[in-house]
Amino acid sequence: MPNKKNKKIDSEKACECLIEDLIEENIEKNEDRLCELSENDFEVYIDPDVEKISYEFYMKKMTDGLPIIPPTKDRVLKFFEYSDRKPDDVIATIPPRWGKATIEKIAINSVMAGCIPAFMPVVQDSIQAISQDKFNLPAINATTHPVSICTIINGPISRELVINNSTGCLGPGNIANATIGRAIRLCLINIGGAIPGIGDHATMGSPSKYSFCFGEAEYESPWDPLHVERGFSKDTSTVTVMAVDSPHNVNDHRSTCAEDLLDTIVHTASVAGCNNSHVPGEMLVIMGPEHAQLVAGDGWNKTDVKEYIHENTFVPVEMGDRGGRKIESKWIDSDGNVHITRKPEDVVLVVVGGPGRHTMIAHGFGTSSDSVTIPITLKDGTPVDSIRDFKNKKL
Amino acid sequence: MKIKIIEREVIDPLGETSADKIELADMPDTIEKIALIDNTKPNADVILNTVSENLEKLDILNVKKPAGAAATTREIKEASKADISILAVGDCGSCTTWLILDAIKLEKEGVPTISIYSHKFSQFARSIAKAHGAENLRIVKIEHPISGQEKEDIKSKTQIIIPKIKKMLKIN
Repeated sequence: MPNKKNKKIDSEKACECLIEDLIEENIEKNEDRLCELSENDFEVYIDPDVEKISYEFYMKKMTDGLPIIPPTKDRVLKFFEYSDRKPDDVIATIPPRWGKATIEKIAINSVMAGCIPAFMPVVQDSIQAISQDKFNLPAINATTHPVSICTIINGPISRELVINNSTGCLGPGNIANATIGRAIRLCLINIGGAIPGIGDHATMGSPSKYSFCFGEAEYESPWDPLHVERGFSKDTSTVTVMAVDSPHNVNDHRSTCAEDLLDTIVHTASVAGCNNSHVPGEMLVIMGPEHAQLVAGDGWNKTDVKEYIHENTFVPVEMGDRGGRKIESKWIDSDGNVHITRKPEDVVLVVVGGPGRHTMIAHGFGTSSDSVTIPITLKDGTPVDSIRDFKNKKL
Repeated sequence: MKIKIIEREVIDPLGETSADKIELADMPDTIEKIALIDNTKPNADVILNTVSENLEKLDILNVKKPAGAAATTREIKEASKADISILAVGDCGSCTTWLILDAIKLEKEGVPTISIYSHKFSQFARSIAKAHGAENLRIVKIEHPISGQEKEDIKSKTQIIIPKIKKMLKIN
């Protein structure tokens, strides 16, 4: 708070005192209780009108079209408490504008998205993950393809933040799933300039671009969860980002053995017209727990499943070769087919969802984007046990 | 008593940008060898072949790079063997982005570039170049669409931009 005694009184100067400043500074003198710069006897600060600010931001192309929470200073400050970095630390530069994703800007966009402050580390790490070279954000953000960013949260923090991994976890209905993905999207729009028609050239876009975030049902899975498969301990929390199409459902209520069920999945996934059918790459398989238990019950481990899906998911080359570029000969097998994935590891398999016999598949962006998994850690690399570890850990 | 109701301010969500200005490599007075960089988008080869046919007496070095990703170090090194590079084609979001980024990479290596974009993506191309401090990057517009078109149509569209390319190359 400014020192009022030494400050020249200027009636035309607006008072900039905030209630938070007064509380923080513990003002002792009675005369400072009312700022002497003020022409008024009493000043009341109110939050901006949500409808008005939403529309103002919308007109400046700073939203996804939905109303936003106005990013006031006090709201943004609460998010800083859940980062051990300084507000002006740059986490990434986001294409196509190559805007600097500082902690402050990530927090502002997270507020707007409707996140609660404790989601900050997950959004922050998601931004860090999508900025790794192998994710290829410059292409993902600008492409005519309707690719979205799927964010999968594993480990204890996923449960602590109550990220839905069960019934309806792909939406709607859960604040973490709905707002973490939305915060990432708002960062892409506002920091990166991925504004539809200006920096984001998706021919139609996709409903998945609003938010696409969920946890893995680790306790329901008969196999190691994604982060353990990728070398982390089960007690480490991770963020995985993957560039994918909107998911397509695989309804199979009747198969009674693993092979039949996997054949249904393979049939759904073997399509021309996805990126993978001309530039093979990763594919996300979001398997319902009931499906996973049937497959595992027949003695199949996760590697067996990934190998089976990889081996059997393909399209004839004449169908595959209609995509964005000519198929390279290395992707065509001796039978004249193109496999949707390059190798079994490209099948990214997670067990997710509630009761019911459904799986979902989502093709990736193709050869030029790979998913990224990073641990949620403090700045010095120490993994966190709880989201509360971020509080009071400023470095 | 005077009561004033003040609405709290909101903070700007837009990210700041800062890019050092990139000085474009000068177009040499005499050109002996041109690298034609094909990003493997449909008809990029037709555009580049048509350009090549109109640049007689020049050595041509053909280089391929992925459409939706960065040119590899090896591909950039290969292209740098020529006096200048012509890159095609940006007719979608991801290929336009990477064509600009690769052209900038070559300019930084001292290789002058000309890159070709469909007119529906040329404005976006310019904005990316600007974001990287290379606002004056040599960009040539060709009529959209490029993909899914007959070869003869693409040849005709390319003929329209040949004079502009020749002018940039200082060739009569």
